[in-house]
Amino acid sequence: MKYLALLTGPEDIGQSRLFWIVFVLLVLNFVLGPLWMSEFEASNVSYYLLNLPMALGLCLLWGYCGVLSFGQVAYFGIAGYLYGIIAGNMRGDPWGPLLGEVGGLAACAVVSAIFGYFMFYARVQRWIVPILTLVLALLLETFLGQTAGYQWRVGSVQLGGYNGMTGIPWFQLGDFTFFGYSFYYYVVLLVLVSYLGCRALVNSHHGKVMLAMREDPLRTELLGYDIRARQLAVFVIAGVLAGLSGLLYVQWGNYITPSQLGLVQAALPVIWVAVGGRSKLLAVAISAYALNWITYSLSSAGNQYALVIIGGLLVVVMLFFPDGIVVTLARNMNRQALTRLLRRPGRS
Amino acid sequence: MEEFGLVISVVYQFGTNAAFLLLCALGLIVILGMMNIINLAHGELMMMGAYTASLSYQAGLPFPVCVAVSFLVVGFVGAVFERLVVRRFYGRELSALVVTWGISLLLSQGTLMVFGPFLPSIPIPGGSLDVGAYSLSVYWLILIAVSIAVVVALAWLYNRTTFGLHARATMQDAAMARALGVNTGRIYMLTFSLGAGLAGFSGALLAPTASIMPFMGQQFVAPAFITVVVGGAANVIAGAVGSSVLLSLVRTPVGFYLGAFLGLVALLLAALIIIRLMPNGVSAALLRWSDRRAQSG
Amino acid sequence: MSKRDSQTDVPQDATTPTTEDAGLSIGRRGFLAGSAAAVSAATVLPNLKTAKAQDGSPVKIGFIEDESGNLSVYGIQKLHAAQLAVKEINEGKTLKGGANIGTGGYGPLASYAANAPTISKEGVALDIVNAGGDMSGDATVFVEDDDVFVDSGDQGILGREVDLVSVDGQSNNALWQQLTRRLIQEDEVDVLVAGFASAEREAIRPIVDQFNQLYFYTNQYEGGVADANTFCTGPVCEQQVIPVVQYMVEKFGPRCYTIAADYNFGQLTAAWTKAFAPLVGGEIIGEEFVPLSVSEFSQVIARIQQAKPDWVMTLLVCQNHHNYYPQAAAAGLSYPMASTVNMAQGYEHKRFPPPSLNQMHNAIQYQLEVPTARNRAFVKRWMDMFPEDEYIGEMAQNTYFTVHMYAQAARLAGTTDQETVKRALELGWAIEAPEGAVFLEPGTHHCAHYIRLAVCDENHDVYFVREWPMIQAWWLQRLGVNLVRNPEYKQYVPDEDPFFSMFG
Repeated sequence: MKYLALLTGPEDIGQSRLFWIVFVLLVLNFVLGPLWMSEFEASNVSYYLLNLPMALGLCLLWGYCGVLSFGQVAYFGIAGYLYGIIAGNMRGDPWGPLLGEVGGLAACAVVSAIFGYFMFYARVQRWIVPILTLVLALLLETFLGQTAGYQWRVGSVQLGGYNGMTGIPWFQLGDFTFFGYSFYYYVVLLVLVSYLGCRALVNSHHGKVMLAMREDPLRTELLGYDIRARQLAVFVIAGVLAGLSGLLYVQWGNYITPSQLGLVQAALPVIWVAVGGRSKLLAVAISAYALNWITYSLSSAGNQYALVIIGGLLVVVMLFFPDGIVVTLARNMNRQALTRLLRRPGRS
Repeated sequence: MEEFGLVISVVYQFGTNAAFLLLCALGLIVILGMMNIINLAHGELMMMGAYTASLSYQAGLPFPVCVAVSFLVVGFVGAVFERLVVRRFYGRELSALVVTWGISLLLSQGTLMVFGPFLPSIPIPGGSLDVGAYSLSVYWLILIAVSIAVVVALAWLYNRTTFGLHARATMQDAAMARALGVNTGRIYMLTFSLGAGLAGFSGALLAPTASIMPFMGQQFVAPAFITVVVGGAANVIAGAVGSSVLLSLVRTPVGFYLGAFLGLVALLLAALIIIRLMPNGVSAALLRWSDRRAQSG
Repeated sequence: MSKRDSQTDVPQDATTPTTEDAGLSIGRRGFLAGSAAAVSAATVLPNLKTAKAQDGSPVKIGFIEDESGNLSVYGIQKLHAAQLAVKEINEGKTLKGGANIGTGGYGPLASYAANAPTISKEGVALDIVNAGGDMSGDATVFVEDDDVFVDSGDQGILGREVDLVSVDGQSNNALWQQLTRRLIQEDEVDVLVAGFASAEREAIRPIVDQFNQLYFYTNQYEGGVADANTFCTGPVCEQQVIPVVQYMVEKFGPRCYTIAADYNFGQLTAAWTKAFAPLVGGEIIGEEFVPLSVSEFSQVIARIQQAKPDWVMTLLVCQNHHNYYPQAAAAGLSYPMASTVNMAQGYEHKRFPPPSLNQMHNAIQYQLEVPTARNRAFVKRWMDMFPEDEYIGEMAQNTYFTVHMYAQAARLAGTTDQETVKRALELGWAIEAPEGAVFLEPGTHHCAHYIRLAVCDENHDVYFVREWPMIQAWWLQRLGVNLVRNPEYKQYVPDEDPFFSMFG
């Protein structure tokens, strides 16, 4: 019960029974999806979904903790590359990919902990954090971009420079390999778990402290909380979640390039979060999914207007829904529901 | 003579590196430093400056006039943006970041669709000077001088004029400034317009050294942000000068003796280390240092 | 025989497919592969004719390029090339050419086989083949031939209309993968033509192989792709680097300074330059790799001045790197330059004011200025359809003849069944492209090209000083790749070939 309360707590969209019915239906929709989706569509949906953990992590960090990172793609890349190296070297070993996952996520945790330590314990100003994280991502991109030569081999795996690391193995548990529909289910499961986990986190006591830090770091500190450690903890969680997206990405496409860590890619998670509304996890999840879908649909139609439309969309959304489109809509829906409730007293 | 040429060449490389960083950062400094708006369309404003310069150069104007035209045109575009869009985002830096990113996509892809993939480049004015085995580009020497001049002009503008006074007051405490009768809305617009104009100005100045393409702005964004961040917000102009000098001091020798790749890595690492040592940027450190001197003296 | 001579013996055999002797030895290998294919094809083809698809639904050509974003300048050119070729195919036109059974070189349907000039340390007698403008036609190599644009006797392919299914990759690798899956799984395209950057090709190749999709990669690239499903119709390092290095050493002297973009293409092409310069008497006195994000070159220029080379090899590709040329010119750097990419792809000589690219030498296989009648006719057809276009680069021409070549192969196969068309292409294919005759070598799925040495003068006019009517993509052959017999799905890199460290 206590855990259920964590999930239905006030710090995300949806507390009503109706919401949870819709939510379960939505999950069911994803679970039953393969009944009407072709394998190709399932693969596309997997791609939209696999970006969600990174977006959720950034939402925790930015929306709930008030710290914007512009370089979440660095952890995306670290996990992806490390998975490729470990799983690629242990090719044939049924447990290699699992070890690669553990290694990738651990590396994300370690790197983000060290980097975060430098930032938060130095108490750098808040607006510098995005640029510092971006610099880390650009450094990694520059380094990986020039690793084309043979000397950049780790065991039997070549880093591959700008052309990227190819032939990254599918995910595998024992003798069962995940691809096609099974990969789709694996993504759905992991994304659901990370969403519910984040939701529980923000409704926990720690979540309350995060919000306090966002509102007023100084006051929070005076109340006796070590905000440096708390910020660092959220930073690490966000890094690991970005790493999870990176893992799923390389398992989806069997491929990663340094441009995944570049400036353009780095801005995308920030945009997903801002468009949905950074103050609510679900809003971010919805907008990340939707924007990925729109990007694909536009370019699939094969015209030059894709970037213009996306750019215009961003401007319009931020002008008219400055708190994020999903958050604003949800708030209005709540208000309507509230007025309806008030009109019919006695139903409590 | 050989040694002399080497020394001159290294000094020249240092000057071009610093001037490049400073020119990239100029417009951004004004907007980010004074208004706390992270303007991701900065690169595209520079691109517009280069486009304006190229178009007016083709129309037969002499190059210095083209640069002035770019300053005015892009400054005007900046004012329009401020009125229509950016105005709504004061105090919400991070939403502003997304909006300016959207604007940058619109501008660059829109430019591609209107003007096609390239505009003809502008020939680099000025020839070259031979110093021993090395030769220097006269144009880069001019750029170094111009960037120094612009910094001096900016410092004068913000420290010696009424506009500067009002602007600084607005940045420190907008409500109080309003209470004292400063038209803060106008100050915001002028500041944003000035920042955009400077971006256009730098874009036009760098245009002869670059290929003029819709996505050319991207190359300036990372150096610009690094320079501004390392400089810090205590005094943005001094900070930007300090950080571009400091970063070039690291980059020049490494780049010259060890190659361009390590030069770039050194630049990025130096940025990280400087921020760790001086969390509020070079400018705050400079300020503390001058305070201490004033006290002891 | 001195040690040095005996050393050069080995690579000469390999590096110089155009000499009489070496050409023979390479030719023999190609011949074997070709005849192997011919034998197998001869037994298969008659059956295929009867298996003709008659359903009348259009033939789908899947096409991915970057139509928006950073690389769109190339993507749109390539898209126009494909549109032009598809239009011509639907109008019943084709380029001369056909299967190349058994000859292992120029096909029986190609117009002529030329005598190739010799590459040696001493150089060749043949210089200035053409100083621009019309040619009289009595030079050894240069022949104005009759029109190669002929009736195909077919509307579309096998009577079916050809449909170009074109999507926009937006220079985003993940999107490229999604779009490839869409074209293969949803649209079920009969052939896929896609890819500018090598990163894009490597992103989609695993998917292509997963579905055994017939795939054409039409760009010039660093070489080494040995993939049974992939046909590479652009030129590769060995076809461009060696001619240009040899010419530069002969003309300007041995000391070369290389600056290259710090990624796969730049690094590998620099490795080729380094490995081959000693064979023609050159030496690499400095090598510098410039990260793609660098756009300000004063330090690189100073380093070159410090090294004082005879000439500079510039392997700079991205838009930031193009800034090198005006900056170097402004800094008074006047060394002759050589390259394998500039002018032919990004038409820098049209975009930068003269004399930024003065003395740029490039061994190209095609660029707009190629002074032949067939090319002028091609350019006219193009400009009639796309009057707004500024330039036609090599990758656009490659896309153009590739689409025509596919149509011809499908006609011979009598079906668009992908495995069958692959077998038909593996007969070896000769086609009279705008650049000259191109020969698709069956064993390696790469093309032998007509290579010309283009030089840019101080007014940025281009003229051609030397030609090699056929240079094979011999490196994969040397490594023993034969995709007809042993299908493979990988990309070889020079480090896997001990040859590359033998001389450097």
